[in-house]
Amino acid sequence: MAYRAEPPDGGWGWMVVLSAFFQSALVFGVLRSFGVFFVEFVAAFEEPAARVSWIASIGIAVQQFGSPVGSVLSTKFGPRPVVMTGGILAALGMLLASFATSLTHLYLSIGLLSGSGWALTFTPTLACLSRYFSRRRSLATGLALTGVGLSSFAFAPLFQWLLNHYAWRGALLLVSALSLHLVACGALLRPLSLAEDPVVGGPGAQITSLLCHGPFLRYTIAITLINTGYFIPYVHLVAHLRDLGWDPLPAAFLLSVAAISDLVGRVASGWLGDAVPGPVARLLMLWTTLTGVILALYPVAEVPTGLVALTVAYGFTSGALTPVAFSVLPELVGTGKIYCGLGLVQMVESIGGLLGAPLSGYLRDVTGNYTASFVVAGAFLLAGSGVLITLPHFFCVSAPTSKPQDLVTEALDTKVPLPEEGLGED
Amino acid sequence: MRTKAAPITSLPVREEMTTKYSNLTLESHSISMTAMPMKENNKGNQICVDRGIMLQRNVTLERPNMPAEKNITLERPSNVELTCQFTPSGNLNSVNVTWKKGDKLLEDNYLVNATGSILYTQYRVAVINSKQMGSYSCFFGEKKQQRGTFNLKVPEINGKNKPLITYVGDSVVLICKCQDCLPLNWTWYTGNGSVQVPIGVPVNDKYVISGKHANETKLKITQLSEDDQGTYWCHAIFELGESEGHVELVVLSYLVPLKAFCAIAAEVVLLVAIILLFEKYTQKKKKPSDDGKEIEQGEQLKLDDSNGIENSGPRHRKNESVGQ
Repeated sequence: MAYRAEPPDGGWGWMVVLSAFFQSALVFGVLRSFGVFFVEFVAAFEEPAARVSWIASIGIAVQQFGSPVGSVLSTKFGPRPVVMTGGILAALGMLLASFATSLTHLYLSIGLLSGSGWALTFTPTLACLSRYFSRRRSLATGLALTGVGLSSFAFAPLFQWLLNHYAWRGALLLVSALSLHLVACGALLRPLSLAEDPVVGGPGAQITSLLCHGPFLRYTIAITLINTGYFIPYVHLVAHLRDLGWDPLPAAFLLSVAAISDLVGRVASGWLGDAVPGPVARLLMLWTTLTGVILALYPVAEVPTGLVALTVAYGFTSGALTPVAFSVLPELVGTGKIYCGLGLVQMVESIGGLLGAPLSGYLRDVTGNYTASFVVAGAFLLAGSGVLITLPHFFCVSAPTSKPQDLVTEALDTKVPLPEEGLGED
Repeated sequence: MRTKAAPITSLPVREEMTTKYSNLTLESHSISMTAMPMKENNKGNQICVDRGIMLQRNVTLERPNMPAEKNITLERPSNVELTCQFTPSGNLNSVNVTWKKGDKLLEDNYLVNATGSILYTQYRVAVINSKQMGSYSCFFGEKKQQRGTFNLKVPEINGKNKPLITYVGDSVVLICKCQDCLPLNWTWYTGNGSVQVPIGVPVNDKYVISGKHANETKLKITQLSEDDQGTYWCHAIFELGESEGHVELVVLSYLVPLKAFCAIAAEVVLLVAIILLFEKYTQKKKKPSDDGKEIEQGEQLKLDDSNGIENSGPRHRKNESVGQ
């Protein structure tokens, strides 16, 4: 078994990008388009919309809080079996949901079961992607994450069509079949043995070392702050526009425009992240600061042209910060600990995500408009970018090659046999 | 001002009728029209063929006589007052005013009045049952006859435009409702082509008609089977007539989506098999040459290790020696 000193940066890595693309589409695209089902559930179960929306909330919460589980299992067994199991769980959840007779049934099947499935797929895949690339990591991540945006475009009309032809039970059955493709995506994740793997040890040891790792903790705090402010515009932009007197159709159209500029931002930032020398954390800080400033400017803009310009800019910068956010982590903790690292970050940042939207809603109820919400969102983002400055090598000119270098020489000396990452890897 | 053809004052004959129904609500509606002026304007050159001779001149195509129409929704008996006002282009006196219900000319019950250059005519009718519903039109006869129409209708019922999809064995609730109306009664029919068969006549468990508020009705059908597929009509009965809406029901068997599910699941299994087999195949091709490479790598690395300090800078050099 040969341990690579360097990630391949291409070759099979592009198949992993493809797999990650479809996975982000199937996990987050489905979650985002689930709103189409809500109307049907409200009518079918005769429950208020608030109770029905808990289905998605539980699903997202389980996906994020369960990320460390996915990470730990991937470290032990490799990403492939974990992601394939996750795919089966996600599909099973949807399948059982099609037989639901009450809302609780849906909470358990879609929320808990599918949520756990998603927890086992998304984080290991992105971590695996980070291991396959080093020089082109940001670009690969950016390309993979475009799956989220594109699938939201495609799935919403698709789900509506399914509902029109099969009603919600049949539609859930077919969405379950769609989610089975996660298993196929998982099959594409060929295990990769990198040189630092034997050194970093098993998952327990990794988590302990991560929790004592200063830069990692600071990064986690920064990401959590960013996450708190990040989702607020998505949730409240349309409502804010309606408050200003916009009609629903132009408001929805503006959201689509934001989605397009988000896509462009992801790819552009991914390319930029690799092209610019130096730590990627600087670019993350740049995009986060810009997003924060734009959000703070929202209350000032009243003119339609100003709002459109701000929304396009917001879409671009918020999309731009996603791939670099994922790319910073391997630079901090090394590709050996990436699974556990990413899992922990996802779990902690979810707190921010869960708090952000209700906080914004509360501010709106108290103040009467969205000014305070947007400004606070911007403030969270700026705070997050401020914490990013404290990361190591922030002001260096050249790329950080810190830990992995030393780990490689150690690893090749000791040649510790590793229990996981089966046979026949590249 | 006087006109030639219409009586001016209100009508004594019908007054008793109006007082008899004076406890009913009064509804007033009006339409206003203006005559289109026949002026020349420079909007485009039109080629006119007049008796075989081609002429070219600037003309305004006379705007087509756009019918002014108003829909009036009536639920319960009321006194209705319909007013048409008209601004003629020429002389007020030359205008001929008539009223029609449908095609039938109305003799009385209306008055004509004029202030300044505007001509008013008003028709009053006590609507007590469905016979008085329909289309009432006022006609102003000038060079070109102008027409205003009032359509008296019962409230519309909304069923569902999209067909309802259900599965065998399920139960479904069909809902018909109307906006602000309170019908006297609701009835349901199932449509078989053009024949409508009433539902719920022998009261059984399968069909349950209910409705929380007066402005809606719900038909619950249990134990659905494929025979229950089709169009269902809901009739709302008012004092002034009947109105209907419809809902289409489609009953599918579970096999329909299940077949699609199995097809997609089979496709996924196939994909996974292809991916894993492809991997096994490419590894088999590598295996024989791999062993040799590994030994080389081991030796190479030992050599590099001794130069560790010098090689700490450029990583790409090490990459090349380790090999792919």
